[in-house]
Amino acid sequence: MDVGLLSQYLANGVMLGLMYALVAVGFTLFFGVLDVIKFSHGDVAMVGAFAGFATYGGLQAAGVHNPVIQMLGVVLVSVAAMAILGALIARYLIVPLRGAPALNTLLITLMLGTALRESVRLFFPDGANPKPFPRLLPAGSLEFGQFTLRADSAILLAAGIAVIAAVHLLINRTKLGLAIRAVAQDEETARSMGINFSLIVLVTFALGSGVGAFAGVMNGLYYNEINFGMGLLLGVSGFAAAIVGGLGNIYGAILGGFLFAGLQTIGAVAMPFASAYKDVFAFGAVILIMAIRPTGLIPEKNSERV
Amino acid sequence: MSGFLSIEALVAGYDKADVLTGVSLSAEAGRITCLLGANGAGKTTLVRAILGLTPPRGGSIRLDGRELSGLPTHKIVAAGIACIPEGRRLFPKLTVEENLRLGCYLVPGEALLRRRLEEVYDLFPRLRERRTQLAGTMSGGEQAMVSIGRGLMGQPKILLIDEPSLGLSPLFVKENFNIIRRINEGGTTVLLVEQNVHQTLAIAHYGYVMAQGRVVAAGTPAELTGNDEVRQAYFG
Repeated sequence: MDVGLLSQYLANGVMLGLMYALVAVGFTLFFGVLDVIKFSHGDVAMVGAFAGFATYGGLQAAGVHNPVIQMLGVVLVSVAAMAILGALIARYLIVPLRGAPALNTLLITLMLGTALRESVRLFFPDGANPKPFPRLLPAGSLEFGQFTLRADSAILLAAGIAVIAAVHLLINRTKLGLAIRAVAQDEETARSMGINFSLIVLVTFALGSGVGAFAGVMNGLYYNEINFGMGLLLGVSGFAAAIVGGLGNIYGAILGGFLFAGLQTIGAVAMPFASAYKDVFAFGAVILIMAIRPTGLIPEKNSERV
Repeated sequence: MSGFLSIEALVAGYDKADVLTGVSLSAEAGRITCLLGANGAGKTTLVRAILGLTPPRGGSIRLDGRELSGLPTHKIVAAGIACIPEGRRLFPKLTVEENLRLGCYLVPGEALLRRRLEEVYDLFPRLRERRTQLAGTMSGGEQAMVSIGRGLMGQPKILLIDEPSLGLSPLFVKENFNIIRRINEGGTTVLLVEQNVHQTLAIAHYGYVMAQGRVVAAGTPAELTGNDEVRQAYFG
């Protein structure tokens, strides 16, 4: 295999890994503070991508054609809108169900995901068909000897890494992050420290959903196409990544994201079957990992939750 | 002096059962008031009700005249109540210093926080050495220090201390009571919940005895040790 092709696969794998990690971080944050699995998370990322797409349309219609401003607008609106949506979902659908069995939350968020998906399909203009996501990042490519990296990919990779690093710093270096970690470990004691539990839950859901929206926009920019069903695979992949890493652990989520993307890439290029089977290969490998390490790669009891 | 806690006809419980059936007591400002009683008497439920963790169903809880009953826990804490909970309840996967910082969560300003951290480290030099250690990996005695330090970080008007000597070695229990007395001498009102009758009465100014969700006796330590009813109801 020539080096140029290898670099393509590598860049693609890292890109997917970042997207999955960004989605998985959300699953891990939600599970950390409320012990719930929010299955609508992938679909929130999808709605985030559509919100970004709609923002682009709005800016075009308003006569704003500067790609830098368009790019910033798309990202800001998408992330902010999904942060608000995430907080609303937590406030009105998840927090009220706290006394109920966890299965009820699972069911509600599964239904919510379907409702979001179908709403985009039915109510977004021509929502049933894939949309061409605008190429807002500069074209051209960077050459490193035989390695070539598209400039837009390089920017996406840098931005994704920056978001992951920012989430890491927020969780581990700020007072808000300390409160989130305290709530994740012991809700009651956290409340007796004076932490406003409900507020922290809403902020955590806003944070996780905003990061998910970023992953959705990244997905759109990378593939130059979005569709109403993209959240399903993104959500399941992110969920698999979070579980494989050890649910409740932010490093586990990141590790799981890259591992899952690595499996998909190996399934696509290094296996003796067609690349269409890459998901079968990756999910099959996840099943195998779970059979060998039922608590995930970083079991929660040995690691810091959130 | 502030930190006067007054509780009247408090009713609280879990699900359908009331654990506290009309508890009235008060903790005088600047004093150590103790609450004795056997397991299941409702002492911890009372602490939880004061903090709003088990919201009261009736009665009132006032701190310096201000009604706290019905407020969410973070507002009750903001009013000047801190707790050293039963079993210490540290955040096991946070460091010692992070645990202490959480005790100061509502106090703004890094400078003030640093000053209070230094005060706690002066009280427990061992914690200064172990500031970056995860709290869950420490010994029981060290965890008790973190829990007490965390309770002091917010400089509350009143400190609720629930069973501080549970599970500690006799030597450290004695040290613990000395520390509680010193905290009180610094001006903090203390409501001390204990089963260790003799050492508790030795430092308390006033005491209540609870049984089956009610206050069955009250008085100064001397009155309580001499009270026949108390002997029968509690001391056996």
